[in-house]
Amino acid sequence: MVLAAISKPTIDWAGVSPIIALLGGSIVVLLAGLLRGRFIREQLVPFLTVVAFGATIGLGIWQWDEAKDLFVAKGSQGALRLDDLTLMITFIVAVTGIGAVLLSWRALAPREAAHGEYFALMLTSAAGMVILAAAQNLVTVFLGLELLSVPLYVLCATEMRRERSLESGLKYLIIGSVGSATFLYGLAFIYGGTGATDFRDIATSISGGAAHDSLLLTGIALTLVGLAFKASVAPFHQWTPDVYEGAPTPVTAWMAVATKAAAFGGLLRIMDVALIDAHADWAPAVAALAAVTIVVGNVGALSQSSLKRLLAWSSVAQAGYLLAGVVGASKLGVQATVFYLSIYLFMNIAAFAVIIARERETPFGDDLRAVAGIGTSRPLLAWPLTLAMLSLAGMPATAGFIGKFTLIDAASSAGYTWLGIVIVIGSMISLAYYLKVVAAIWMRPAAVAAEVTTTADGSPRLAGADPAAERADWEVTLVAVLAGAAIVVFGVIPSPLLNLAADAGKSLGLF
Amino acid sequence: MSPTTAAWLALACPLAGTIVNGLGYKLIKGKVPGIIGTVALAAAFVFAVIALLSLQGRGAEHRQLVSSLYDYAATGTIDAKLSILVDPLSILMMLVVTGVSTLIHLYSLAYMSGDRGYTRFFAYLNFFVFSMLLLVLAGNFFLLIVGWAFVGAASYLLISFWYRRTTATSAGIKAFVINVVGDIGLTLGAFFILKNSHTLDFLGTFSQAKALGANHHGDLTAGLILLLVGAFAKSAQLPFHTWLPDAMEGPTPVSALIHAATMVTAGVYLIARMHPLFEQSVAAADVGTIIGAVTLFVAATIGMVVTDLKRVIAYSTMSQIGYMIMGVSSGAYVAGLFHLMTHAFFKALLFMSAGSIISAMGGEQNLNKMRGFKKAMPFTYGCFIIGGLALAGVPPFSGFFSKDEILLVQAQIGGWHWILYVVGYVTALMTAFYTWRMIFRAFWGEPNEQAQTLIDTGHVWHAHEPTNPNNGEVEDTDVGFPGPEHHIAEQALPMKLAMGTLAVLATVGGIVLIPKTTTWLDSFLEPTFASSSVVHQASDGKLVLGLVLGAVLGLLGIFIAYTIYGKANGEIAQGLQARLPVLQRLFVNKWYFDELIDFAIARPFAWFGRFGQQTFERIFVNGALIGGPSTLVRAGSAAVRAVQSGFLRAYAALLLVGAGVVILYFLIQSS
Repeated sequence: MVLAAISKPTIDWAGVSPIIALLGGSIVVLLAGLLRGRFIREQLVPFLTVVAFGATIGLGIWQWDEAKDLFVAKGSQGALRLDDLTLMITFIVAVTGIGAVLLSWRALAPREAAHGEYFALMLTSAAGMVILAAAQNLVTVFLGLELLSVPLYVLCATEMRRERSLESGLKYLIIGSVGSATFLYGLAFIYGGTGATDFRDIATSISGGAAHDSLLLTGIALTLVGLAFKASVAPFHQWTPDVYEGAPTPVTAWMAVATKAAAFGGLLRIMDVALIDAHADWAPAVAALAAVTIVVGNVGALSQSSLKRLLAWSSVAQAGYLLAGVVGASKLGVQATVFYLSIYLFMNIAAFAVIIARERETPFGDDLRAVAGIGTSRPLLAWPLTLAMLSLAGMPATAGFIGKFTLIDAASSAGYTWLGIVIVIGSMISLAYYLKVVAAIWMRPAAVAAEVTTTADGSPRLAGADPAAERADWEVTLVAVLAGAAIVVFGVIPSPLLNLAADAGKSLGLF
Repeated sequence: MSPTTAAWLALACPLAGTIVNGLGYKLIKGKVPGIIGTVALAAAFVFAVIALLSLQGRGAEHRQLVSSLYDYAATGTIDAKLSILVDPLSILMMLVVTGVSTLIHLYSLAYMSGDRGYTRFFAYLNFFVFSMLLLVLAGNFFLLIVGWAFVGAASYLLISFWYRRTTATSAGIKAFVINVVGDIGLTLGAFFILKNSHTLDFLGTFSQAKALGANHHGDLTAGLILLLVGAFAKSAQLPFHTWLPDAMEGPTPVSALIHAATMVTAGVYLIARMHPLFEQSVAAADVGTIIGAVTLFVAATIGMVVTDLKRVIAYSTMSQIGYMIMGVSSGAYVAGLFHLMTHAFFKALLFMSAGSIISAMGGEQNLNKMRGFKKAMPFTYGCFIIGGLALAGVPPFSGFFSKDEILLVQAQIGGWHWILYVVGYVTALMTAFYTWRMIFRAFWGEPNEQAQTLIDTGHVWHAHEPTNPNNGEVEDTDVGFPGPEHHIAEQALPMKLAMGTLAVLATVGGIVLIPKTTTWLDSFLEPTFASSSVVHQASDGKLVLGLVLGAVLGLLGIFIAYTIYGKANGEIAQGLQARLPVLQRLFVNKWYFDELIDFAIARPFAWFGRFGQQTFERIFVNGALIGGPSTLVRAGSAAVRAVQSGFLRAYAALLLVGAGVVILYFLIQSS
């Protein structure tokens, strides 16, 4: 009787099911990690994590083409939105997750931090990412962002006996907190300017005349900065190289791809749903950020010899390319962004898998020397890395070409042709460092292992090198080969993926 | 099986061949790669025939079929599909390409057997045929450009097949560079057309041809002339022809397949395929016609004096393609394609026969050193005679009918096309002359050393350390042909089979379009050219005049060649050379085209380059351009690195500065 009087939100359990799979999975994994057996900890826990990610994908496919609000409380429009954009981001996160689990399976980090905790944190951050992409309320957006970030701070520091890992975790935590604070501050301003927290109410309020309210505009600026921080957009990118380099490489792979997908998912929804009527105000700012990011990222990558740092700078540049899809606030733009995010997944996973494989096989860590000459000695690693580099540079017949092509198409049809030109110039600069890696793979003789066992400052081996054993793990090669194959397949037959991305593009109700 | 299915399968066969040979080179041994390659091509030919039969089973108005495998990229402004267009024109090209390729693969089976790069050769050759089929089957500009570029790449790989020969690699580079210039022309031309038609699809574009011609005449003409640049580069027309003679550095089967029968005819195909557009732009069509006419004349004059056996045939190829380009550009589509087909037969035959002699000569291609092979190689001699008669245009061989068809259309159009008519027949005389000059010089007279050995013992041996006949450098036998012993056409059954088949085709190939008798080819190609507004109805007088003129001039050319080289053993030739030193020098130096290009393009560029390097580069480039961007990039890099200090306080500061700037922008925006 009493219960009936309490108003409770309507919950569409089917729609929430992908998030439940992730969160439930994280609890199961955490509990399983408490068990003593070595087999359970080292084999079953990663396996359960893969199952959780797999279940998320399955449930996502089940819910495909739905468009509904979740957690609708009285007087609200629902905290989350389940549509094709949410599901595409979910798929990207989950596929990355499976890759990252395979890469972490026999890595040092989970052994040091305990398997249960490590994989549970991964699933929790995945849930945060999905919530960030699905949120259509200022409060849930922040919730998603924090749920995503906090586990990542911890994951970065999981190689507890390596100073650089701890440093990267701490750096990420402090700088990340500044970012989160900025973001929250921005959300508060938006609320102050419009008096609403639901995205569609905000949109109504803006179209009703709040567009030039300075509170709102300050809010937009700070929100943009907060998300730009997570997506490593310059000039808020500086944590990226340090954190990428210091974190355990499987964690780097995980956050390079998944965080970026979630941040762009959230950005698209905030900008294209809540702030769509302020488009004329924010579009030039986003375009300027994109241009700055492309330049800074590519210039910064030029002089790197650490592969992880190189990929970090490259990911900054890629974030700039991705912003070109946001600028237009059009169906085509969303499609281009989502498509690029999904192929970005394969390019990065392929590259990081090869780096991990070489970290385990050589004493060079992630230095460029680790991949020198693998063209002849390890063709199964050489090809995926080569393809990843060429695809990141945008070579035709790789997926990256189609990705850049659609992004430029989106930018120029939104009237930002100059941004398209900046993308092309950026790609030209980027060839300098991508081809450096390709040249090392195929044209340089393998470096002699005995040469480097200690670095200049006396610390044994280079960053990330696993002291446990020099071995080749089949699952790492498998991940590299599969991701490399996907780069070629989607470079030659991009239409299935383009169609999925187009569905995501339609879900925001843009033109 | 539907025609499109058969076409897709025909496309798949050589692709499978090249993949198997290319990836399995460590596993497949002996003759197997050759057999794989040949069988793949034979299967492709069978599918081409199936496509033909299946297409003929349909009504005439349903003979243009488009099949799309999948959308490559269908974003906002581009509709790039992997689609093929199967119509009589593409079927004809498919049949010629796969048919002649099968025979040439068969020939190579024996010809290349002494080569270390046997597997590589067949992988390349299959790749070429795949690219060529892609080119002729393409249903839109996108696939056409891909096929066009692939063909250029295949040609480069095959010209430089003996990659340790410096002459071969530099010839390959020359061919590739000129072909890429053509690729750029083709791509830009396609953009000019796409800009107004908003579709890459051929049929979609052609359906708007009238509107394009009326509303965007300037763009259309510019686009078509750019397409012609592509066609000229691929088909070795003036002034993009200099790569073709050098391409003779490649193995002889390559010359026969790529540089005679198939690839170089791509330009002719392109113009025929684009005919609805060319009919809307008189200027572009005239450019094609005139360049074709000039090329056919100039090439023939050079062919009369060159002493390298394969180069004579190469110049002859240029000249014959000139006829075709002139034909299809002036509306003689069926005649041009007819000549394309017969030319593929007799020119491939001539190259194969030449290969037979070159093989016996140990790689030596100099006509001056060949003598008296008549008795030593009777089969080759017979084939050469048949090819020579067809090329000279003597009735009833195939070349007779096809060449006259093209010239008849010129007479029909009248006006300044009469000049082309005269040029065409004068060149026909020269053609007969230079063709038979080869025959009399190589086969008649006293047998030379190699020929005598052949007559005496039945086979020839050559030194164990072969040298490059062009510059005498010692050959690397790891990749070089030939091995110490030479099998020649008389002894290798596959070569005999291929040459025999082509000899028959070269003899009777004209049967498909004999004036007043058969109209098979005409009615077969009808569906493709149905929309054409050009109609030719030749009067009987002109027809008979042309046929008689062609036959008489062909025989006259042979007679002159006989008088100079056959009967008098070359003394008259020396006399003539002495009496006409200016002409001789002009022709021997190939009309100074290489020098002209050197003088008009290479020298000024080199001068400009030197000037640029000495003054411009030091001041402007190093100072402003390199100094600009690279200093900028370096300074940027340094700045980025300096800011990237690793200290959190610095990061936080920049974050706040950045956020401050963004806020400031938004606040200024609001006021």
